[in-house]
Amino acid sequence: MGQSHIYDMIVIGGGPGGYTAALYAARAGLDVLVLEKLSAGGQMALTGEIDNYPGYENGIDGFTLGERMQRQAERFGARTEYAQVERADLVSSPKVLETSEGPYYGKTVVLATGAGHRELGVENEEALTGRGVAYCAACDGMRYKGRTVVVVGGGNSAVADALALSRIARKVILVHRRDTLRASKVYHEPLRKAGNIAFCWNKTVTELLHEQTVTGVRLKDVNTGEETVVACDGVFISVGRKPATELVQGQLELDRSGYIAADETTRTSLPGVYAVGDVRTKLVRQVVTAVADGAAAVHMAEEYLAGGV
Amino acid sequence: MGATEMNKEQFQRSIAGNRPVLVEFWAPWCGYCRRLGPAYEKIAQEYGDRLIAAKVNVDEEGQLAEAEGVETIPTLILYRDGKALDTVVNPDSKAAIDRFIQKALTV
Repeated sequence: MGQSHIYDMIVIGGGPGGYTAALYAARAGLDVLVLEKLSAGGQMALTGEIDNYPGYENGIDGFTLGERMQRQAERFGARTEYAQVERADLVSSPKVLETSEGPYYGKTVVLATGAGHRELGVENEEALTGRGVAYCAACDGMRYKGRTVVVVGGGNSAVADALALSRIARKVILVHRRDTLRASKVYHEPLRKAGNIAFCWNKTVTELLHEQTVTGVRLKDVNTGEETVVACDGVFISVGRKPATELVQGQLELDRSGYIAADETTRTSLPGVYAVGDVRTKLVRQVVTAVADGAAAVHMAEEYLAGGV
Repeated sequence: MGATEMNKEQFQRSIAGNRPVLVEFWAPWCGYCRRLGPAYEKIAQEYGDRLIAAKVNVDEEGQLAEAEGVETIPTLILYRDGKALDTVVNPDSKAAIDRFIQKALTV
């Protein structure tokens, strides 16, 4: 198919939200293309086991689940191109996506670019990911049963992670660069009551100590500069998330945290452009909520293509 | 043709040949390697007439990986005339692998 072809729908990102949109679109008879830069699955491709996606009673690894979603959408005629989108013109008609493989044109666009964890920015952080460095207590917490873990951060998700880990790990050490938590008050009492959560205030992590896996962290006091070493088996980094919105900045309305402003209809501030999954404003970011968005986006796109809203 | 799994002997014979060889050092337990898989197969097909795309399992070929200076995986190294031209660690898109190959081959 030539690249001057105009698709009914182009989906940017092959995670669960993206491929569910592609599945619903293909089944609705729409001509749909998924642009994926590396491989299906998005963030879940790096998740060892997913135990909260219904229907897989024994769990399934995220990479396999992603591949299955891809094949399921392709079975109904969706196509995939391994292309990195470099620029997007979402206002023009058709909408234009400039990619590493040339331009693609679509009547509608589904943004399924996802979000990533914010990194701490210390040496070897990436190399040690999965070897003691983790970003998701709900995903990787079970590995640290009866062991000692450090949680870095002071917001709601850091504190929720610390609480979740306190029920699994022997000891949890919460490291925060300020002297008070940013997390809401409702968390403070449970934190005290947990009994196995210690606090390191006014400290930043300057180094990840490791052999094959993490053995500890070096901390620096932000006021005195004094350095200390804390031994641990794992480090959970919870210093925020960043949605992948570089492509649409200046074209679409974002919310105060930088996510694409869209409610559960997935409609964005531009007609014919929908945001699904983690990149959209939402309360709960999970595989199951991402796939729900994919279905909603296609429903809205069908109305739009039929000349409605 | 897809990427070919190679042991030390095959690797040495292959890089001594007259076609450039792209090698992915990987391991079965490595999530980032697995995620690279589909794009790497696509690269192997698209560049099939210009280079040989290979894979070396670092669990089975630990000595070779060490000798080639591979510390983290996935690592891609492009060889020509028996020498390593350039290295990239954990590229995050197929486009990044394309750029890596094109840059290394034009030097």
